[in-house]
Amino acid sequence: MSSPLHDVGAVLGAATERMLSVAPSPAFWIAAVLYAGAAIAFALAATGRFRVGGLARVLFAGAFLAHAVDIGWRGVQHVHPAETVRESLGFLAWIMAGGYLVSALRWRIDLAGAVVSPLVMVVLAGARLSPAGDDPEGLNTLGRIHITLATIGVGIFALASALAAIYLLEERSLKRKRFDTLAFKSGGAPLERLDILLHRLVWVGFPIFTAAVILGVIWVSERDGRFNRPEYPLALVTWSAYAVLLVTRSAFGWRGRRAARLTLVGFGAALLVLLIYLARRIWGG
Amino acid sequence: MSGDVFVVGISWRTAPVAVREKLAFREEEIPDALRELVGADHVAEAMLISTCNRVEVYGVARGTAAEAAADVRRYLARGRNAADAESALYHHVADGAIRHVFKVAAALDSLVLGEAQILGQLKAAHSVAVDSGASGPLLGRCLERAFGVAKRVRHETTIARGAANVSSVAVELATRVFGDLAGKSVLVVGAGKMSTLAARHLRQAGVADLVVTNRSFDKAEKLADEIDGVARPWEQLEALLAAADVVISSTGARQPILTVPLFKKVTKARRWKPLMIVDIAVPRDAEPKIADLDGVYLFDIDDLERVVAANLAERAKAADAATKIVDHEVGQFEQWLRSQRVVPTIRAMRDHFTAVADGEVQKVIDQLRRKELPADQRDEAIRRLGQLIVAKLLHQPQMALKATEPTAIDARVEAACALFGLDPSIYEIKPAAPVLDAAADEPPPAVAEGKRGVK
Repeated sequence: MSSPLHDVGAVLGAATERMLSVAPSPAFWIAAVLYAGAAIAFALAATGRFRVGGLARVLFAGAFLAHAVDIGWRGVQHVHPAETVRESLGFLAWIMAGGYLVSALRWRIDLAGAVVSPLVMVVLAGARLSPAGDDPEGLNTLGRIHITLATIGVGIFALASALAAIYLLEERSLKRKRFDTLAFKSGGAPLERLDILLHRLVWVGFPIFTAAVILGVIWVSERDGRFNRPEYPLALVTWSAYAVLLVTRSAFGWRGRRAARLTLVGFGAALLVLLIYLARRIWGG
Repeated sequence: MSGDVFVVGISWRTAPVAVREKLAFREEEIPDALRELVGADHVAEAMLISTCNRVEVYGVARGTAAEAAADVRRYLARGRNAADAESALYHHVADGAIRHVFKVAAALDSLVLGEAQILGQLKAAHSVAVDSGASGPLLGRCLERAFGVAKRVRHETTIARGAANVSSVAVELATRVFGDLAGKSVLVVGAGKMSTLAARHLRQAGVADLVVTNRSFDKAEKLADEIDGVARPWEQLEALLAAADVVISSTGARQPILTVPLFKKVTKARRWKPLMIVDIAVPRDAEPKIADLDGVYLFDIDDLERVVAANLAERAKAADAATKIVDHEVGQFEQWLRSQRVVPTIRAMRDHFTAVADGEVQKVIDQLRRKELPADQRDEAIRRLGQLIVAKLLHQPQMALKATEPTAIDARVEAACALFGLDPSIYEIKPAAPVLDAAADEPPPAVAEGKRGVK
C-alpha cells in the first residue's frame, strides 16, 4: 500500500497538521507578517539604495510586540513558553528579536537586522513545524527552568553570533580593501563597537547559559542517571567556547576576529543541539 | 522682460585661475561693488559671489535681462581692469539663470560634485547683498528656493555621499573602524604636508590626542605646534604605536619603518586593540605584511585615492537625478514668477473697477437723497446706473481694440475673448466694421454704448 509518494504526502500532511494544531493567536500571524516585512525592509536598506532602515526598525518592533502578545495569550491558556520544543523555539525567536531591539536602541546596526530578522523567521517556522507535543519525558519544574534559561542564553548567543558574522564580513572587506562591498557600504556598525557589543552580549548570556547547563545536568541525572546523548558534549562545546572567549579576553585581550570566530563556534554547537532535539521530536528516538 | 533673473560670471569651467583671480573680489570690496552694480541702468537687484572657483553676479533686471547682463559684463570686465577676462564671462537669463543658480547651490556646478562648501558661501554672499540693500524680494525668493533645492538634492540623491578627498577618506575609514573618534588618539609619524592635512581632518572629526614624532625632533615640535599636538622623541616609537589608535605615516625614509617584527610586539602590547595605519609616504613606510596581523588595518595612498575615485564616480551617477530635481524646481519657480507678474495687474484692475463703480453708485445715492422719486423712476435710475458702470468700464478696452494695429488685431481679439470668456466664433464672419467705425468717432455716449455692451 505504502508508496514513496504516499509517504511524502503523509509527512507533508502531518507537518501541516502540526502547523495548525494548537492554533496560535491572531497576534502570531501579525507578528509573522511584520517580521517578514521587516526582513524585506532591512534587506532593501542593506543594499544602500533605499532609505527604509527606520521603517524596518518600526516593523520589527511591531512584530516583537505582536509576538509578545501571542506568547502571553498562550501563557493564559497554560502553555508555558518552555513547555515544549515548539514553544521554546518560538520563545527563542522572541528573545533574539528583543535582544536586537535593545541593541539597536544604542547602535545603528541595520545590517544586523538584515541577518537577525530572517533568522527569527526561520526559528519561528521551525517552531511551527515541530510537534506541539505533550509533556516530554518527565518535564518537571527543574526541567522547565532549565529549558527557559537555556533558551534565553542561546537567544543571546544567537544575537552575538549575528554580530560576529557581520564583524567578520566587515573586517574582511576592510582588510581586503574592498570598499564597494555591501558589508562596508551600508548599515554596518563600526568594527570596534560590534566587538564591544558582542562581548557584552556574551558576558550577559554566559552566566544564564551556565545556570541552564548546571540545572540540565541535575535534571538529567535525576531522570536518567547517565549522559549518553550527543547533545550533552555539544552543549559543553558551546559552554567552553564562551568560557574561553571571556577568559582570554580579560587575561590576554583577545578580541576582534578571534572572538568573533569563537562566538560562531559556540553558537554552531548550540544550534546542533537544537537540531538534534528537533529531529528527535519529529522522528522519535 | 523687467523682473527677469540673470547671471553673469566666470568659473573653473570657463577660465583658469590666472584669469579668475583678476576678477576675484576681496570680502571688503563686495558691498561697494554691489552698490555700483545696482546703480547700473538695467540692474534692479544684485548679489555677488567670489570664491576660488567662481566669480558670479546674480541679479534681477530692470528692462530686459540681456541689457542687465550687458551692464554687468561691462562692469566686471572694465571695472576690474580685466579686458582679457571678458571672453571667459558667460551669462544666463530668465529660466537659464534660475537653473544656474539652483545648480550652483546644489553643488552641481562645483569642481567636486556635491561638495558642501558652496552652499555656505552662497548663503554668506546673499546675506552680504541683503545687508547692503542690493538684494530685493525677487532675488531673495530665488536664493531661498535655491537653498531649498540644495537641501532636497543632498537628501534625495547620493550626490553628497562618500568622502571626496584623501584626508576625508582617511577619516571615513577611521570611523568605520572606531565609530566615534572622540577620545581616540592619533600618532603622526614624519612631518610631511599631507600628514598635516590628514591630522587636521581627524582633529575636526573629534580626535582627542595628536602626537607627532619625527627623526628630527625640531621638525616634530614645529608640526605639533601647527596642529595643536604634542611632540615626542623618535626613540619612543614603539611605545607611541602601542598607545595610538590611528597612525598617519609620511616619512621620507628609504626603508620601511613600520615592520612586521615591530608590529608583532606592538599588537601584543596593545592587546590587539584595533590600530589603523594610513601610510601616505612614497616609498611606503609600512611593510604590507603588517596588514595580516590581527587588529591592524593598513591603507596606503593608492587605497585612499581609489576610494576617492569611486566616490566621485558615484556622485557623478547621482548628478542625473539631481538635475531632474533642479529642472522640476526651475519649472515651479518660473510658475511662481509668472504668477507674481499677474498679481499686480489683477490688483490694479480690481482697484480701477471698484473706483469706477463706487463713483457712479455714489452719484445715484446722492441723487436719490436729494429728491424723493416715484418707484418706477427709481427703478429706472438703478437700471441706468448698471448700464453706466458697464459703459465706463468698457470704454478703455473698446478704444484699445479699435486702435490696434491691423496685424495685431487677431491676437487682441483673441486675448479679449479669453479675458472675458467670450465665444470667439461669433466675431469671425460678422461684417461689423462699419458699425464699429462709426462708433469710434463719437465721444463716449455712455448710456448708448452701455446698452450695446449689455446686448
